[in-house]
Amino acid sequence: MDLALQLLATGLVVGSLYALCALGWGLIYGTTLHFHVAHGAVFALAAYYAYVGQKLLHLPLIVAVAAAVLAAAATGLLIDLLIYQQLERRGAFRTSIFISSLGLLIVLENVLAVVFTPDPMRMDIGALNTALIIGPVFLTYLHILTVCLAVSGYLFLMAFLKWSRWGQAIRAVSSNPEMARTVGVNLAKVHLLTYAVGSALAAPAGILVAMDVGAEPFRGTRFVLLASVGVIMGGIGSIPGAMLGGIFLGLLENLGIWKLPSEWQSAISFGVFLVFIVIRPRGFFGRTIHSAEI
Amino acid sequence: MLKRLSAVLLLLALAAWVPGAHAQQGPIKIGAILPLTGSGASYGVWMKGGAEMAAEEINATGGIGGRKLEVIYEDHAADASKAVNAMRRLVEVEKIPFTLTSYSAPTLAIQPIGAQNKVVMMNGGGQSDNLANKDYLYNNIPVVSNEVGVLAAWLTKDKKFKAAVMIVANDEAGRNSAKSFREKFTADGGRVLAEEQVALDGNDFRAQLAKLKAAGGDLLFISSYGRNVAIIADQARELGITIPMAATSWVQIPEVMKAKGAEGLLTTRLPFNPDSPFARKFKERYKTDAGFFAVQYYSGTKIFAKAAEEAMKKAGGKLDGEGVKNAIESLKAFDTISGKLVFQPNHAAVMDIEVGVLKGGKVEVEKVLKANP
Repeated sequence: MDLALQLLATGLVVGSLYALCALGWGLIYGTTLHFHVAHGAVFALAAYYAYVGQKLLHLPLIVAVAAAVLAAAATGLLIDLLIYQQLERRGAFRTSIFISSLGLLIVLENVLAVVFTPDPMRMDIGALNTALIIGPVFLTYLHILTVCLAVSGYLFLMAFLKWSRWGQAIRAVSSNPEMARTVGVNLAKVHLLTYAVGSALAAPAGILVAMDVGAEPFRGTRFVLLASVGVIMGGIGSIPGAMLGGIFLGLLENLGIWKLPSEWQSAISFGVFLVFIVIRPRGFFGRTIHSAEI
Repeated sequence: MLKRLSAVLLLLALAAWVPGAHAQQGPIKIGAILPLTGSGASYGVWMKGGAEMAAEEINATGGIGGRKLEVIYEDHAADASKAVNAMRRLVEVEKIPFTLTSYSAPTLAIQPIGAQNKVVMMNGGGQSDNLANKDYLYNNIPVVSNEVGVLAAWLTKDKKFKAAVMIVANDEAGRNSAKSFREKFTADGGRVLAEEQVALDGNDFRAQLAKLKAAGGDLLFISSYGRNVAIIADQARELGITIPMAATSWVQIPEVMKAKGAEGLLTTRLPFNPDSPFARKFKERYKTDAGFFAVQYYSGTKIFAKAAEEAMKKAGGKLDGEGVKNAIESLKAFDTISGKLVFQPNHAAVMDIEVGVLKGGKVEVEKVLKANP
């Protein structure tokens, strides 16, 4: 039982990281229908922004992290502004956007590897590393912070989408872009905002992982893959779904190996996902899917 | 008349020059397939540095049979397929007679290519037992079952451990060392309660460590190497695993020596003198402490030089892989800066092994044991 509780705790922590990535990715996909795999590059870049801020510019940790989140938001926004919107203006298919996003992910990851080397870049996190013992479960303060940030991120996003004008504009575009344009919503601006908010949600995930085990150039690919799986599982277009999907994946990865050998970790997660998606293609909370286009 | 005279003089000059062209000219090229990047990059710094220093010393004293030695460095990054590509390039394009190699899986992958093309491979780092008894492959390092045998015996007889759990790297070297430990530990009266596998380049082992913690035991054996050992040790302590940990000498890289979690690690050590002239020269040049593997690749290069000279003497100046192999077989023993090295019939070496405890970034040696070949 002790083992199960420990795995549950670790699963919640990992799930929180996936949830943050999924919230951002899901927001972007639901609103723009871009399969933005370069979200993984934003995840990785956020980690390096924080590393540079603390280790090279000698900023206090909090300042470095805050600056990194803003920088990541700006990065996401620029990706849409300089690449996706340009392609759309020229009438590109959504597949072309996906390919350009993939290319961008690969280029950015490799640039990071060249500049910083592929070795993990560690940060100083001081007291956050201290272990906390709750019954049979061992966690660090960093882990507790991770779960708190995921929950706050989710609540903030829900509040933003529900009550602020810009949030409502995003929901309008997500629900029906043509109608939104008809009533005067500026689609391009809404897209940029969506990218900024979505990237700002992925940034803490990247930074938290960097604070735990160091910033690495190629880690983003795995996280964006799992984020997209989480979103599909939760239901495309549903923010609560994305949160649930991310947490569910984290729990699955850890509890899945409670009784089964740990080499099967990935196989179990994706196996369950496969079965789930066949039984219920629209995920937990999603609308019925009509087309299969990426 | 003048025209005929100059033609004769030209022919004489050519005649003097041509015999030189019959013998092989130009530098002697050898390969070095090393972990220059990735989780084992620390080993790569030592291995490349050792080989570089040896090559420079050899060239400073006139090279090998008057020819300069040139080492071509290739990166395998712990990936066997990259090692194979590197080996093919070295054999087919550079036509090397000899290469230094490292790591178990990459070495096993390139061995058939070396054997087929009669290119000698000298492994100074990989320790899988499967590296013994292979054609054209020589190991100037003992295979892991020797070290593990010594460690297991010390842990059961001297330290009285009874039940071990293991965390194992899911590659050739990790699995081989785990198999060896399991055999030796149980033969000496202990029990292995559980085993979990991890990726060499992974960074989160909490799930596997949690499972091992639940299995109990009084010792955690780490059958992994490279950077992930530091992460394993730190995360194990973080999860509240308080039992002592043990590992063989290959984990003694700077990241692990400094890791908080690795304090108190029970470990073996292959002979290395941190105060030797070699170590001091290495530190001065590369601004980092030398390690056992630096000496290994320094020795491996010098062993080649000796064998190549012998081969060239026997073949009238010609140098090829078969000649080098025959030279190693006939010489068998080589003087190295760690003492006399003797290649056994199984193509592996035998060395004294020390056991001790990692304290404050250094290994405090408790005993020195003679290894069983």
